[in-house]
Order: sequence, then C-alpha cells, then structure tokens
Amino acid sequence: MNATACYFENSMAQESTEIARGLRRRDPDLLDRLIEQYQHRLLRYLLYLTGRRELAEDLFQETWIRVLERGHQFNDKYTFSTWLFAVARNLAIDYMRRKQPASLDGLLNDGEAPLDVPATGQASAFDLSLRREQNEHIAAGMQHLPAEYREALVLRFQEGMSLEEIASVARVPLGTVKSRIYRGLSALEPWLKGAPL
Amino acid sequence: MSTTLNNDAHERAQKLIVLAGPEGVSGAERTWLAAHMETCGSCRAFAENAREAVYALRAISIAAERSLVSTTQMKVRRRALELQRQQERRWLVSVSCIAVTLSALVSAAVLWRGFEWLGAWAGLGPLVWQVGFVVFCLTPSLVAGVLLLLRGTHLADHAGSYEG
Repeated sequence: MNATACYFENSMAQESTEIARGLRRRDPDLLDRLIEQYQHRLLRYLLYLTGRRELAEDLFQETWIRVLERGHQFNDKYTFSTWLFAVARNLAIDYMRRKQPASLDGLLNDGEAPLDVPATGQASAFDLSLRREQNEHIAAGMQHLPAEYREALVLRFQEGMSLEEIASVARVPLGTVKSRIYRGLSALEPWLKGAPL
Repeated sequence: MSTTLNNDAHERAQKLIVLAGPEGVSGAERTWLAAHMETCGSCRAFAENAREAVYALRAISIAAERSLVSTTQMKVRRRALELQRQQERRWLVSVSCIAVTLSALVSAAVLWRGFEWLGAWAGLGPLVWQVGFVVFCLTPSLVAGVLLLLRGTHLADHAGSYEG
C-alpha cells in the first residue's frame, strides 16, 4: 500500500473514531456538521429508494433523529456513510411495513411521476441539451427499475461505495450486490438509447 | 454447444464490465476481458453503453433544500435536549431510589431497636413488639396502596362516563 492510500485510510479511520465519540456524547454541533455534510447524498439515496420527494424528506429527518438516538451503536470500524445509509434504509423498510407488509419491492412501483432531474455540466447549449435529455431518460429508466437494483446503482455509481459497503448497507451477500448492479445497468440500456419517457 | 459457450462468455464479459473497479475484477479477469473485448463488437457496444449510463447517473444532481436542512437541524437539537432532560430525570430518580433504600435500611434498624426498648419498658413479650414493628412499617404503604387503588377506581369510573 502506498503512502497516500495509507494516509487517507488513517485519516478516515480517525474521522470515524471522532464521529463515534461525538455520537456517543450526542454532540449537537457534530450532528449539525454531519447533516450539512451528508445532506445531498442522503436525500438522493432516499429519493431513489422511495421515488417520492415528500416521503424522502420525511425519512431524511427521521434518519437524523435515529442517528441521534442510536448514535452509540455506530461502530467506528465502518465508515459513517455506510451506517447512515443502513439506518435510512431500515427506516424506509419500516415505513413500507407499516403501509403494507413488504420489503423494498413495495417501494415505487405504483407509477409515480419521474424524478425531477436538473441538468448539469459545462458544455455547449447543444451538448447540454443532449446530456439533459440523456439524464432524463436515465432518471426515468431508474424509476422503472425494481428498488433493489436502483439502490445498488445509486450506492455504486453515485455514492462510489465499494461492493462490500453496498453489501453491508443492503444486508445481502456480495454476489447478490454484483448481480443487482449488472442487472440494473443492463435494464437501463434501453433507456439510454431513448426509450419513451 | 458453442452458442451457449459464447453466450456465457458475453455474460461473463458484461458482468466484468459493469463491476470494473479496483475491487470488482481481478488481474486475470481483466486480462481475459481485454482479450475478449478485442474480438467482440457487441460487448464493446455494451461497455460503451454502460459507460454512458454510469456517466448519466453521476451527472444527475439532486440537492436538499436549505429549509429541509435547517428544519432537520432544529428537530435534532430539540430531540437532543429532550433526551438530555430524560437522562437527567432518570439520574435523579436513580439517586433518589438509592437514597430512599439506604435511609429505609437505617431507619428500620433504628426502629427495631426502638421497638425492642419500648417492649422491654412496657413489659411486653418479644412477639408482641415484633408484630407492632411489622404493622408500624407496613401501615404507611398499605394506606398509600388503598388510596391509590381508590383513586384508580375513581379515574376509571370517570373515564367510563366520558366514553359515554
């Protein structure tokens, strides 16, 4: 392992330890900082998991309350984001169980409107327009995927999590994670080619 | 047979393409994939599509609104305060329980001696002053229990009348 990688690993471990210590103390300043730091990532994950902005925002708030209450359970051997997403996922599943006894399958398969996807990038107007269209297609395609595949894709490609981390969040074997990513990305292919929105 | 093998090879290649990353694919698999990609047009197309899909996925930006963040921070702070107060209350109750237990033990010992002395002074047998001691100790809790039961019955009656 080279020096840079070693440095980053040490600093991440140190950060996790500091977070664990702060969570045990229920330090409100630390929680404020964590909410700021993970706001977009957590909301994006919840939005893809549930497909509904309102629900995602409710779960966002509940997740942080749960983090406050169960902070002492965070094990600093893992990264904070992995634990945070696992907490959010459990809350989403709890919500679905209250609504109807089901797993993640019950999330977002009842034809909601596609996710609101703003365009990004710094290309020409034409490129931007093309890219925006492609993003819209992909976002619409994501809407049609089973929640498990969507979750795996978001964690892998948007959050940049390792396969092991995804397995830990979703509580499934590594092989299942690989299969979900493969199937999810394969299922997105027609949407990339411009399947109807 | 060869078609099946070909399909297996394509599927294997496509899985490797999707999982391409430091921990997803080993060195040997990477070499096999490179060799396969040189000869397979459909897998090259799949790789290109996968790359574009991943690019598009990463380009999708979803942001939390400022109001959501500040409301969450406020709720978390409020809950933290509640939890802190609960903890303080629990601590106070625990300390009170310990203090009450200790004082009960001390006063029971003192009372025992007092009843013993009173029994000797009044010329009573040990059984009599010991029964007196037990009655004296139990009376307050018995009275409190009866009062609480009466109060409970009263409340239940009242609730029944509210239910209509």
